[in-house]
Amino acid sequence: MTIYEKNLNVLARAYPQMDRLIEEARKTAKPDLEIQEERAWDGEVILKVKKDGRTCYLNGKRNTKEAARIWAGGLEDLPNNAPIFLMGVGNPFYLQEVTERNQNRLTILVYEPSLQIFLKFLEHVPLKEWMEKHVIVFWVHGLEGMDDKAMDLMIKHIIQYEKISYSGKMILPNYEVLFPEEAVNFMRIIRDHAKQEMIQYSTKKLFASVIVKNLFSNARYLCDGYKTTQLVDVIPRDIPGIVIAAGPSLNKNIQELKKAKGRAFIVAVDTAIKPLLDAGILPDMFAIVDGKKQFSLVEREEAKEIPLVTSLNAASDVLDYHTGMKFFYNEGFTFADTILMKHEKAWGGVSTGGSVATSAFSLLHKIGLKRIILVGQDLAYTGHKSHADGTFEKVMKEETDRKYIMVEGNEEKEVPTTLVLQSYLEWYNQHIKRIREVDQEFRVINATEGGAKIDNTEIMTLQEAIERECTKEVNIQECLGKLPPMLDEKEREWAKGYLREIPKRFQELGEDAGTAENLYQKLDRISRKKHLDQEQYLAVLKKIKKITKKMEANVMYQMIDITMVEAQYIMRDEQFTYEDTLEAEGRAMARKGMLYTRLVKDMSGMFEEYTKFYQ
Amino acid sequence: MEKKIQELYQNLVKISAGYLIYQKRNNIELMRKMMPQIQEFVLWFLEGNIFGIEETLYQNMSQDILGILEDIVAAMEQGDRVLMQDAMAYGLLEYLELFIESEQEDGKNDNI
Repeated sequence: MTIYEKNLNVLARAYPQMDRLIEEARKTAKPDLEIQEERAWDGEVILKVKKDGRTCYLNGKRNTKEAARIWAGGLEDLPNNAPIFLMGVGNPFYLQEVTERNQNRLTILVYEPSLQIFLKFLEHVPLKEWMEKHVIVFWVHGLEGMDDKAMDLMIKHIIQYEKISYSGKMILPNYEVLFPEEAVNFMRIIRDHAKQEMIQYSTKKLFASVIVKNLFSNARYLCDGYKTTQLVDVIPRDIPGIVIAAGPSLNKNIQELKKAKGRAFIVAVDTAIKPLLDAGILPDMFAIVDGKKQFSLVEREEAKEIPLVTSLNAASDVLDYHTGMKFFYNEGFTFADTILMKHEKAWGGVSTGGSVATSAFSLLHKIGLKRIILVGQDLAYTGHKSHADGTFEKVMKEETDRKYIMVEGNEEKEVPTTLVLQSYLEWYNQHIKRIREVDQEFRVINATEGGAKIDNTEIMTLQEAIERECTKEVNIQECLGKLPPMLDEKEREWAKGYLREIPKRFQELGEDAGTAENLYQKLDRISRKKHLDQEQYLAVLKKIKKITKKMEANVMYQMIDITMVEAQYIMRDEQFTYEDTLEAEGRAMARKGMLYTRLVKDMSGMFEEYTKFYQ
Repeated sequence: MEKKIQELYQNLVKISAGYLIYQKRNNIELMRKMMPQIQEFVLWFLEGNIFGIEETLYQNMSQDILGILEDIVAAMEQGDRVLMQDAMAYGLLEYLELFIESEQEDGKNDNI
């Protein structure tokens, strides 16, 4: 059996059908470059590639291994699952060095833009041992299904915040010369996902304590509140829903919205409230999800009574100011679930998509509306503005010095956008596609009249959309007026009592964390002794396990967990590292355990203070 | 000439280190700037066997050094960074090392 055939078997074992894909591509692909094999001075086969009139070696003839050796020297003893991104197999020693220098199981994504080079690689380089030791994914252009979009998703899965510091990436020399676009694209995808992970981490960190403060402040509104699933009972499904976002194009067609009032279910995002009220338009509902939303954006007397769909951790001053109906949805907070589940009631979920507008869109879909019209949903800096005039400022400033990404526009060929807005755009693209796959009747009309193009939407002016779709009269206020609060009198009393108990739960959690901290200190002392007493060591570990279980069972533990993003990352980060001896392992465990339990204790004390007003 | 060789040697070590350690991909541009000094060294070497080495060995070395120069020129023409690094670091530098005092040579590895 040849090396090539053996490799196909190895690949097929790891990735069923990959052998077939390779063979099919080998038979059908047209060569787009010339490859010559040469012998290096040490006898190794090296490749010389001719592409677009240019000839380049992929490895040196005088020295085949040093460049790879030096590069991989910086990537030794990486922890389990550390991600390595490699572009090119034309010089196999890069892959060889990194696989052989690491005993832990790495996740290696090897991207090869040329099928021909990949086939040569398979002819000469036995993969069995490397693939048994590590997770190696070969992403080869020219193989069915291995396109840029899928690669993007694959890289997204591989990159995680806590592993970024252990990651390695390499464009093999001359790949940037022979495949410049592919090399830039590959690096861009990695960079963007790494950046996104960092942004998410920073955002979580920034929002963590605000989230908890908002949660407890807002939880009292659950007692008299409503849940979004109740809307299904009263909103007719044969009317369209309108999502009004606060993108810069809103100013173009805001006046048209008057014609839609009473002919659609109009849900505005919080930031759009002021320009809408200024234009004399009262939406049927407005939405807020942001924990740090500027209160001034909704601070208008007329906004107070507009029904509100809100996340439980939205800015609490907005909820305090608002006096109308408040609709909540499931966000997975255990303590809130307890209130509903106690009475055998279920929440309804809303797919967030990351922004308030995507949440509003998801809500309209979830309550069964088949037609959704988007307004002011630019997802772009149309005219270099972030929002519509009348939102943050009377006239928004143009931001020309930002670094933009260009995407296809609705009206313009291309419009400038940012990474964050682009992620919302991608959410719409995927979400609408998925819905339409199962529901052909579902239609989305993009009546933004500007901004970025969303796939699978019908583009038209708002005037056209209203004339065509908003044909039936409806009184949403009357519909909503029929709804009772989600909890009845008795259930409300129970919920109030439950909320009053929350400070006590935190007190218990703080005490348990103190006990756990003492146990970790004991573990540290045991691990530092000259002769490790294994029996004592295991006994302490057992106790730690027991108290940790008890802490995790406390319904308020989730609040602590959400807040301690930093600590979570420390813990997750350290799960990739291993110590050589039981003593060292014990000391490391004690160190992070003491850090974690101390934080739990401190946070419990702080939250006990936050929630004392319940009593 | 000894000083010039030392200077050239140090510059090439820097370029090689940039390529190998910092993954810099500008070795063609940097080597283009060094071409006058490289040519001067090669011409000096080829002027005649003034080094007291056996003639056959000198002829083989001369052939080899011409091969290296050829690779450097081809690398420049094609924009081939791999060939450039190979010819420079594992070809030319080895010849330059022959004329560097042992002390200097010892320091080389530290630089890299």
